[in-house]
Amino acid sequence: MNGSVAMNHESLRKNLTWWMAAAALLVGCGKVEPPPFRLNMTQMVSNETPTSPEYQQEIADVLGAMFGTPDEPYAVPEAGLDLSRLRMAAGAAWSDEKGTNHGLYRKHCVHCHGITGDGRGPTARFLNPYPRDYRQGVYKFKSTYNADRPTDDDLLRVLVNGVPGTAMPSFSLLPHSELEALVEYVKYLSIRGQLEVSLAAYVYDDLGEEAEVDENGDEKVDSEGNEITKRIPLDPVNDPEQREVVMELLAEIIEGWESSAEKVVIPSEDHIPADNRNAEEIAASVAQGRELFFGTRANCVKCHGPTALGDGQQDDQDSWNKAHKKFLQDMVNAGDQEGVHPGIVASRAEVVASIYTVRNAIPRNLRQGIYRGGRRRLDIFWRIYTGIAGTPMPATGPASPGAQGTLKEEEIWNIVDYVLSLPYETPSRPLKALPVNLEAVN
Amino acid sequence: MMTINSKHLTGCTRVAVFAAIALATFASATAADWGTLKGRFVLDGDLGEPTALTVSKDVEYCGKNNLVDESIAVGEGNALKNVFVYLYLKRGKSVDIHPDLAEPSSEPVVLDNHGCRFEPHVALLRTGQTLEVRNSDKGIGHNTNFTLLKNPAFNEMVTNDSPIKKMFTKSESYPSSAVCSIHPWMKAHVLIRDNPYMATSGEDGSFVIEKIPAGTHEFIFWQESSGNLKKLSVGKSKTSRKGRAKLKIPADGELDLGEIKVKLSDLRK
Ligand code: HEC
Ligand code: HEC
Repeated sequence: MNGSVAMNHESLRKNLTWWMAAAALLVGCGKVEPPPFRLNMTQMVSNETPTSPEYQQEIADVLGAMFGTPDEPYAVPEAGLDLSRLRMAAGAAWSDEKGTNHGLYRKHCVHCHGITGDGRGPTARFLNPYPRDYRQGVYKFKSTYNADRPTDDDLLRVLVNGVPGTAMPSFSLLPHSELEALVEYVKYLSIRGQLEVSLAAYVYDDLGEEAEVDENGDEKVDSEGNEITKRIPLDPVNDPEQREVVMELLAEIIEGWESSAEKVVIPSEDHIPADNRNAEEIAASVAQGRELFFGTRANCVKCHGPTALGDGQQDDQDSWNKAHKKFLQDMVNAGDQEGVHPGIVASRAEVVASIYTVRNAIPRNLRQGIYRGGRRRLDIFWRIYTGIAGTPMPATGPASPGAQGTLKEEEIWNIVDYVLSLPYETPSRPLKALPVNLEAVN
Repeated sequence: MMTINSKHLTGCTRVAVFAAIALATFASATAADWGTLKGRFVLDGDLGEPTALTVSKDVEYCGKNNLVDESIAVGEGNALKNVFVYLYLKRGKSVDIHPDLAEPSSEPVVLDNHGCRFEPHVALLRTGQTLEVRNSDKGIGHNTNFTLLKNPAFNEMVTNDSPIKKMFTKSESYPSSAVCSIHPWMKAHVLIRDNPYMATSGEDGSFVIEKIPAGTHEFIFWQESSGNLKKLSVGKSKTSRKGRAKLKIPADGELDLGEIKVKLSDLRK
């Protein structure tokens, strides 16, 4: 895996001309006033990476050069993104005389997911759960290990099925080519958003103010004896070292997306329950699954509750809401904000006000039989094996190929049987038959 | 032990001092000499009684442990525990490592779910070293939800007698947080670095980092509740807005920052 990153770096380093080309492209489309990509302001004014307005502008410029605009998307060749698909999904919605639809994202998705893919379209505030913010590259309903990016097939499945029980609709009526274009565009917005966060971290960690040195390498001081400092701009077009870093940051992100197909959890043939099991066999498996559900190893009961109504631990948040919660707390704690760049302080109140109400992650009510990530046995298997990324729901299988997991595959299949039986079980039963470690269930 | 505070220097000595520093920095490139950094954190302010945590799950078991908020923790005499001090390195830069410390320890760093809290509350881990997440709360299920930025994050169940073992390949810039989603009050921080130059302050507030290549280095001062410790007086220097201070490590000697006073009002405003 590392080898291929290294290779990527090599090829990226060689191919630097696109920077110039991309910068030129930006200049070329200055006349129109398209809806702009918005900066990730919670990141920019955060305690972790406070980013001055000058740096914010420079980050926006770098992203502009590398990704273009919502009307004119661009992608580095190395990103492996298909530009013709991106063009089909981007821009204003219209159809040409051949009947080809353009501007698919703005037509179908933008009012929930927002132009930037920040999950902040006009209707987003009122939805529960909120529409996905793509900018972390984290997706819930996928076939890969918890930490890994989704595959194209995973995203396609979400588009075709929608996310039942949420506002996310099914787009099964769209032609396949349009779905593919939309998947590409979602990835594009993710990669762009991930790079934005990496750039903010890079600027904060490595750039900023630096002491000026004279020709002898000594630090210059003013008449008061204070160090003279200067701001190191983020300028990868003119600074080869920075350019290399930016390309590395991008390569790290792209590596995650390109390797996702190798990170799919494929259940071992030996343990997949046969289709022709009889009622007793199924009942035995359900009973096993039930014991695990209540036991401390799987511990599903603690979150989903003893009646599986989702009424266990409800005090936690998913990673998107948790980040907002932390941000709000940090801002409350920020006090007089002494030493923080005034340009950052100035925008903090506005950013705080823009944040949607923080919502807790409520474990699923498993008696309703509505599965947001799909109702096939394989879907439920994936949820339990890998957990649900970005949410409190933990993995019970290994975290990566070859690692050790908490549960064995056959045990996970037992739990799948139990979960799928829950909508048909009367809720009073598990209470009566309460389980192995009764004392541990509050 | 010479620390720069150019304000107190006249023009003439200033030049001499800077020349000396330049020389010292240059000398460190040969890395023959090693030094120590140490100090002791003291909380300036009255923390009062620690706040009891709201135990909302496994109340019978977890509730009996008198769990308190550990985001600011003091020992005897207001000694401030759990402050991270570590070497700052620019992206792509490395540091000479003392031969004794070349290899990370083959002993794992243990993070135990114990009494419905993480033990220890802070830990240091080198890349290539094993992190072992254990659950010694018999009959209680925990999960460990680890937020990492440079390494793959994870969120896994931890069973009694069957620890999760992890190894990381990349340095994280800041301590990473581990929580338990079943018991969301549980929190720990682990700093993952590809070099050994890091420490946390202990029960008595003191920390020590040994065998650092002599010369001037930047160190980060970080505490859980406020992140980077800004404008902190460390010996004769002060940390920057990013919580970093340039410190000169003497060859075959030590830089003792003495008592480092951290204002409570800077941690909890
Ligand atoms: C009516 C609002 C709405 C519209 C329109 C909408 N979405 Fe969503 N979308 C959501 C919500 C809400 C979620 C979050 C579901 C959840 O977290 O369970 C979501 C989640 C997603 C996810 C993440 C699934 C995962 O596994 O994490 C993707 C990808 C996605 N939407 C793509 C799209 C695309 C592409 C379009 C347009 C073709 C679109 N959505 C249109 C509301 C919407
Ligand atoms: C730490 C709390 C926690 C634990 C432990 C936990 N879950 Fe969940 N689970 C959740 C949350 C929260 C969600 C909702 C995630 C979302 O969609 O945002 C969820 C969702 C689910 C879903 C719904 C998937 C879908 O497609 O809609 C299933 C099924 C499920 N959990 C089964 C289990 C099983 C089986 C176990 C034990 C092996 C378990 N959970 C353990 C918190 C937990």
